[in-house]
Amino acid sequence: MSRTRLIAANEWRLMRRNHVARLALLMLLALSAIATFTSIAHRAESDALRARFQAQADREFDGQPARHPHRMVHYGHFVFRPMPALAAFDPGVDAFTGNTIFLEGHRQNSANFGDVRQSSLLAHFGQLTPAFVLQVLGPLVLVFVGFGTIARERESGTLRYLKAQGLAARSLIAGKALALGGIAALMLAPALFSLGWLVVVEAAPLSGALLLAISYAIYLLFWVMAVIAASSMTRDARSALLYLLGLWALTTILVPRIAPDIALAATPLPTRLETDIAIQDDLRRIGDSHNPNDPHFAAFKAETLKRYGVTKVDDLPVNYRGLLAMEGEKITSRLFDKYNDTQFTVQARQGDTATGFGFLSPAIALRSASMALSGTDLDGHKRFLEQAEAYRYAIVQELNRLQAEAVTFADDGNRNKDPEAARRVRIDPKHWHDVPDFTYRPASLDERLRAAVPGLALLLFWLAAGAAMLRLASRRIGAAL
Amino acid sequence: MHETMTQATSTNAELATHLLAENSSPPPIEITDLRLVRGSRTVLNGLSIKVSRGEIYALLGGNGAGKSTTLSAILGFLEPDSGVIRVGGFDPVLEPDRARTQVAYLPENVALYDQLSAYENIAYFLALSGREPGRSEMDGALDAAGLQHEARERRVAGYSKGMRQKVAIAMAVLRDVPVLLLDEPTSGLDPRATADFNALLNVLKARGTAILMVTHDLLGAADCADRIGFLAQGSIVDEVRPSEGIDVLALHHRYGERTAA
Amino acid sequence: MMMLWGHELRLFLRQRIAVPALLLMLALSCASVWAGLAEVARQREVIERIQPKQAKDEAAIAAWVAKEGDVGNAAYYTFHATWDSPSSLAFAALGQRDIAPFVLRVRALPLESQINESENYNAELALPGRFDWAFVLTYLAPLLLIALLHDLFSAEREAGRAVLLGVMARSTRALWLRRIVLRAGLLLLALLVPFIVGAVIAGSTAAMTAIVAGIAAAYFLFWIALCLLIARMKLASLANAASLAMIWLAITLVLPGLALLAVNQAIPVQQGVELTLAQREAVHAGWDKPKAATMQAFVRDHPEWKDKATFTGGFHWKWYHAFHYLGDRAVGEQVKAYRTGLEARDAWTRKAGLVLPPVGVQVVIHRLARTDLAAQLAYQDRIRTFHAALRRFYYPYIFNETPFRTEDFAKAPRWPAQKTGQLATASQERK
Repeated sequence: MSRTRLIAANEWRLMRRNHVARLALLMLLALSAIATFTSIAHRAESDALRARFQAQADREFDGQPARHPHRMVHYGHFVFRPMPALAAFDPGVDAFTGNTIFLEGHRQNSANFGDVRQSSLLAHFGQLTPAFVLQVLGPLVLVFVGFGTIARERESGTLRYLKAQGLAARSLIAGKALALGGIAALMLAPALFSLGWLVVVEAAPLSGALLLAISYAIYLLFWVMAVIAASSMTRDARSALLYLLGLWALTTILVPRIAPDIALAATPLPTRLETDIAIQDDLRRIGDSHNPNDPHFAAFKAETLKRYGVTKVDDLPVNYRGLLAMEGEKITSRLFDKYNDTQFTVQARQGDTATGFGFLSPAIALRSASMALSGTDLDGHKRFLEQAEAYRYAIVQELNRLQAEAVTFADDGNRNKDPEAARRVRIDPKHWHDVPDFTYRPASLDERLRAAVPGLALLLFWLAAGAAMLRLASRRIGAAL
Repeated sequence: MHETMTQATSTNAELATHLLAENSSPPPIEITDLRLVRGSRTVLNGLSIKVSRGEIYALLGGNGAGKSTTLSAILGFLEPDSGVIRVGGFDPVLEPDRARTQVAYLPENVALYDQLSAYENIAYFLALSGREPGRSEMDGALDAAGLQHEARERRVAGYSKGMRQKVAIAMAVLRDVPVLLLDEPTSGLDPRATADFNALLNVLKARGTAILMVTHDLLGAADCADRIGFLAQGSIVDEVRPSEGIDVLALHHRYGERTAA
Repeated sequence: MMMLWGHELRLFLRQRIAVPALLLMLALSCASVWAGLAEVARQREVIERIQPKQAKDEAAIAAWVAKEGDVGNAAYYTFHATWDSPSSLAFAALGQRDIAPFVLRVRALPLESQINESENYNAELALPGRFDWAFVLTYLAPLLLIALLHDLFSAEREAGRAVLLGVMARSTRALWLRRIVLRAGLLLLALLVPFIVGAVIAGSTAAMTAIVAGIAAAYFLFWIALCLLIARMKLASLANAASLAMIWLAITLVLPGLALLAVNQAIPVQQGVELTLAQREAVHAGWDKPKAATMQAFVRDHPEWKDKATFTGGFHWKWYHAFHYLGDRAVGEQVKAYRTGLEARDAWTRKAGLVLPPVGVQVVIHRLARTDLAAQLAYQDRIRTFHAALRRFYYPYIFNETPFRTEDFAKAPRWPAQKTGQLATASQERK
């Protein structure tokens, strides 16, 4: 053990004298610091802004004057997706998804104003966040610092010398790995600070933050092992550098870009426009409210009359138009759910395909786990869309119920002819206050963990692969010495 | 030989008139009062050497005597602080391209392209100097240099030091230039190879090539050189002609300690 | 002379790294071009596919609206399809087309609540960016170039051939130039040939193809210059490779990331959300405003309907369209501000492109391919024009109170087919 530490100490001394290594490490730490501070500030700012907009939307809804309830159905409501605290560490898809939806009756609008659509194509170069720095740049810095660690000793002949001193290959590799692992730990420090800050100040879940730290540690550990293995198995330091750069470019830059293309080609997603048309088409088939002879609505009318024991809609104790609106909303909403389910299923399948490439790229594995644990994966956005839709349905039906109960059928029918009726259909604005505000329920820790399982499992696979490579390298060195 | 040579390698009319005007060919190597300072150290201090056509001149000296510096200066890689160098009449610093057409150079360790064969290496380097020798020409030169037939198609990655040197000599033969510079040519060669090498030098000498070799091997130099110059502290301290009979042992005693220093 | 090139070619191709590097470049370029062509074909297919669906949808609406002939219903329920066909260069740089809609339906109601609609896309798949030819050019080609050029001089020095080469070569400048041209040239060829084939398949003009090829060559020159600059320091091959890889990292990943951070911080664009909220307020307040005042304000912008702006009763489509129009107009300034913000971000990106060649290359290629933010805004401009045409189409029926019949549906403005001459349209977009 002391020999291992001795080798590590010697390696650190050499690293301190290596200009490229020092420069790379300093750059990474500086970037980490910049990314941490800007990311925390950006998250806080965005979240505050969204909260402010949400408050404004709530206030404006509540502050509407006396209105016909159906006016309010079309006045609608805006909801905003809050940013989870850990998004300051890994914003994931936050910028790629719209964060606000306009909710109204019979229509399902898209979530709009995602950051990326409002950004120039610079966004394609990657956003400088603590997660990006560690996922993409971290391995590269480990490569720069460590590619020559054993290869150079072999070139200069000191490897033989060490062997002559009776040093076992295992202690040598352990020592070198310890040295490079120390560098990895140093690189992880700003991330740990950022996570700690988020837990203490922004009340991020501790276990989530802890698991994030562990995931990144495993990822960097894999790269430490890969660098050491490559350095000990290649002919010379330059080959080690070229191979490692190749491995990095392949797994961190290339495969993550190819995987989505393959996933998209395998399971294409219909456009919004087509879904819109399909829903309209289905709607007409189920029941056309514009057609007085439509069988569905005719049956609904008959059933309603029967339930209340009357023969004409005018005799109903409630406003038939309100009932009709509720029935219509029920149908459309069911269709929205059906098409959303299909869409989410396709997206989940695409996601699975892409995550499957985690077997070729540890970066994909880490990103999947990281986004899931931070609550910024696609599931987070899906959760927002689903909750927004549920909220939309709830408020629209509440307003339709008001139309049925607080507005008479006669007034509703005469509101455009009779100014008095028009006045009466505008109901007391206190009802708007009674409509509950939207509260977004973020993923529970349990849900996040479950979503992170595939990524975490893949990371463990890579850890095992790294260990296997290291064993092989150790045996090779032992034989070659 | 020299005049036909330069005219053959140069299409420059100006050059031809220049040669005619002088009416007698300049000596292949002429170094006059060369001074070269690197940092605070005077490496060459008033060095003068003249090598004629068909002459072998051996420059003897120990480490740091200024042998390599002299070669680099002749090749135009170093600029002297004062003094004159002429290679085939050209200043290697002011007219590097022309001077280079006059010189063949054999480094101590001949480095070739490992991924090419002997033929391919020769064809490549000769092409760089503007010549395209045919296969029979190359075989002639390789025969003269003594490289065995069966090795010529093989990649030179597996060649010994002597074999590489033979390839380089074949290149020098093919280039047919007035000046040949040799850097420690016989170091690391076995006695048999050394004898072959000396025989080859005599062939070149007979063709009129001026040969300047840099060495620390007095015995080897005495075997082949027409003149031996002893270099110490940047200038020639003594010059002998082996043909006039020299006492190698005495010379070794006189210069051995300094040259070995 | 040709002889020497032949020799150099043999020498280069026999290097251990040469053939794998060239084949890798060729494979990556082929794959990216293929992926780009497939994506563009998919987008075209979507545009094709929506036409019959859209026609069917319109017919279904016409079926019941025409019975009553109420133009209000026609204008309210009929969605009109718009689309933005990919340019013939889009395959090389897919750009923002994966996150911004390229098909969008609008109706003659206020545009501001329709124009910022998003597409259904898988954000997790969009996150890493697409694998297109521009990506291979900007990120991967420099890495391979570094692999081929980092030891241009140092390898000769380390092998001990430098002096011999110096003595043998009639011109060392020509020697190095030949080697650089050969190594970089072959790599460029491996990158460009698949692109050119793709451009021919996609029907791109020769001029466009040549411009992109020229950009790629210029980008190569930049990296060659960097390699030579590092070579001047006369480091070992190993140090050259490490230094160049560091520089690559800095200018392709780190500095653009910092630039994005700076641009997005410097130019916030929250006006998008603000104007949407404000527009809703403006539109819905219209229900409660005095109708006469609303009509007056509308007529100020549409004097041609001055004499038709009166109606009786609590509701009329004239009034409905008038206050919806005014809702859009109320946020005109904010729309402009939002747009200005987006354009400012784009402008700063272009400025960053002047300093950072990878950004510059991306900016120019995406501009030529019309897949950048500017193209997205240009599509929105065309939608605005189309939307205005829709309003102009419906207004006569509404204000003259003419019944709207089946045949009238066919008279509605159609989304114009795009021109294929890209240079012309690209310059039009710039205005």
